[in-house]
Amino acid sequence: MNDMAGATDAPDERRFGLVFQGNWREFLPIVATNFVLTIVTLGIYRFWGKARERRYLWSRTHFVDDTLEWTGTGREMLVGFLTVMLFFLPIVLALNFGIEALALRGQAELAMKLALGLYAGLFYLIQVARFRALRYQLSRTYWHGIRGGSDDRGWMYGLEALWRYALAWLSIGLLFPWAVAGLWNRRWNSMGFGSLRFAAATQFDGLMKRWLLIYLTPVFAVILLGAVFFAAMLTGAGGEGAGASTGAAVGAIGALASLVLIFLLYQLLSLSFYAAFYRKAAASTSIGDVRFLFTASTRDWVRLYLGHIGLVIATLGLGLLFIPYRNWSFRVRHLEACGHLDLERLTQSQTRAPGDAEGLAEAFDLGAV
Amino acid sequence: MASAWLYDGRSAARRPVAIAIDAGALELLPSEGAAERIDPGALFHAESRADAEVYGRSDVPGWRLGISKPVECELDRLLPPPQVYGRWVDRLGLRRALIAGAAVSAAVVLLVTQLPGLLAPMVPESWERRFGNALLGNSRLATCAGPGGREALAKIAAKLSPDAGELTIQVANSPMVNAAALPGGNIVIFRELLVEAESPDEVAGVLAHEIAHIENRDVTQAIIRHYGLGIIIASLGGNTGGNINLLLAADYSRTAESRADRDAIAALRRANISPVATARFFERLAKMEAKLGNVGDAFNYISTHPLSSERRRRFLASAQPGRRYRPALTAEEWDALQDICHNDPGHRRLS
Repeated sequence: MNDMAGATDAPDERRFGLVFQGNWREFLPIVATNFVLTIVTLGIYRFWGKARERRYLWSRTHFVDDTLEWTGTGREMLVGFLTVMLFFLPIVLALNFGIEALALRGQAELAMKLALGLYAGLFYLIQVARFRALRYQLSRTYWHGIRGGSDDRGWMYGLEALWRYALAWLSIGLLFPWAVAGLWNRRWNSMGFGSLRFAAATQFDGLMKRWLLIYLTPVFAVILLGAVFFAAMLTGAGGEGAGASTGAAVGAIGALASLVLIFLLYQLLSLSFYAAFYRKAAASTSIGDVRFLFTASTRDWVRLYLGHIGLVIATLGLGLLFIPYRNWSFRVRHLEACGHLDLERLTQSQTRAPGDAEGLAEAFDLGAV
Repeated sequence: MASAWLYDGRSAARRPVAIAIDAGALELLPSEGAAERIDPGALFHAESRADAEVYGRSDVPGWRLGISKPVECELDRLLPPPQVYGRWVDRLGLRRALIAGAAVSAAVVLLVTQLPGLLAPMVPESWERRFGNALLGNSRLATCAGPGGREALAKIAAKLSPDAGELTIQVANSPMVNAAALPGGNIVIFRELLVEAESPDEVAGVLAHEIAHIENRDVTQAIIRHYGLGIIIASLGGNTGGNINLLLAADYSRTAESRADRDAIAALRRANISPVATARFFERLAKMEAKLGNVGDAFNYISTHPLSSERRRRFLASAQPGRRYRPALTAEEWDALQDICHNDPGHRRLS
């Protein structure tokens, strides 16, 4: 009966993978009914729908000797969302009217300043929302009857994010890896599970090479577009009429193809940076005597996203309902833990269970799982 | 005696327990330590696993009792049923919940689409004027004031409506074929519409239509929709709501448009201006649309006003054969109006 004895008694460290045991045939009826109920309730059921999806995904996620449990409810997510909207709706309405009125009166500069202020404020709130969404998710995630959480409300985190991203922006992006690594640490160092705290110490130095590669995209773009222009000139130089129009066609098609190629290259390089970042960040994060390992390579991420696209196209859009499933199972399949866990000494979290759910994140439509 | 495991919500350790039933209550018997009595009414169904049904206690977060499957019938009767879709839907059953949801949603959509129309007549005109001034300022729009142009517009308006004095009609120096009624009795005609029009009677037809929108309080309705209900629905409903809002955003309803046309035709008749020119104007626009496709801003009038052959026919049919119509403006006045932007020495350009 007591089947975790092996994990408890062994003094030596061992490696335990997280195992995802779900399958799409079980998930389909859940999202299908969610979809219909969301439509007939003008979207309000989506909160309950999200809770059902998570309850399923968590219950099929096996760690060491037991599965996770999601205890968040649709009702609390609706209440959290409404609370945030009651606070923000008047502000957004007033600013919206003010900017429109200023613009119509020809006060473009003032309207722009106001809009910029609005965007800075929104950016701050989006960062806070990210933090609070993580805190909420941990507080509703149970394993062995124990939940996670944080006592930090995230307002200072938002300020730190603001100045870190501002510095990254001022340094034409060079400090971006430093900003995201620092924010990862700040987020996870504030979180805990049960009586244990997470500890994160991600360094950004090993990430710079991949980050700097992204800066090559414009160089590549100039070379490629230059080559296309040259080819078009050569084709068109033949003479008037037919030659010139072939030249123009070569130029147009070539330019279009180059833009697609440049975009894909940019995506690929960004993905390779993020793949390295998540591997490094997970490896630098631990809780108690348990360390983490995230094994997804750039190729895995590319396959995940190509799979998303293929699925959505092949199902004429219905596959969108499966994106949360694919994202979650991808993360679980690639996450491993290593170390030693003393279940007798892991006791309940004393953090406050936040009541605002993901209100802020919902208000900004942040696409978390 | 049923076998089970227990997480007490305090420590992560899992303890085996046996369950006995004692006078309608569950008795949990751990392998060591004292027995615990649990009121089944305090339990909720947490999840169904392959090997166990798991129950929680709402008063102790994290407390979980996993009862090995198959659960004995006597015990099962005491335990709460699982929740599937959420409490409300479960109580009704999925099919009935879907029908009830669809009915309530239809009622809400109906109410929301009708509400601006019901509320608009109740908004005092002074409020709307103040709102219009707050939004537009008094005359900061880049408008044209070439000599004689404004007088010509005022003359047409006075012929069309006895309350024309309440209106502020301006010509915006912007290369669009369009006209719009704005809050607070403001009408803006865009420069290119005057250039495209071949006679003052065409401008009169367009103006009569916009005046009708204002007099019917259609503009008030549109504001209520834009600033009030639209934003509330968009925020509450997420994507589904957003799609509905998109339908609402098609500024005036079809009924409002055809009523404005009907009133415009009546106004033209009262003013003794021929509706045939307006019909021809629509015809030219329709041809342009067919030729160019919807080219966006340049022919904005097409995208914001329904341009059906039905509409053209209605204007055409309202012409009374044999009646001696008088042109809306004299030739000199018409010249002044068409050149209102060109002749304006101090004009500013919009965008």
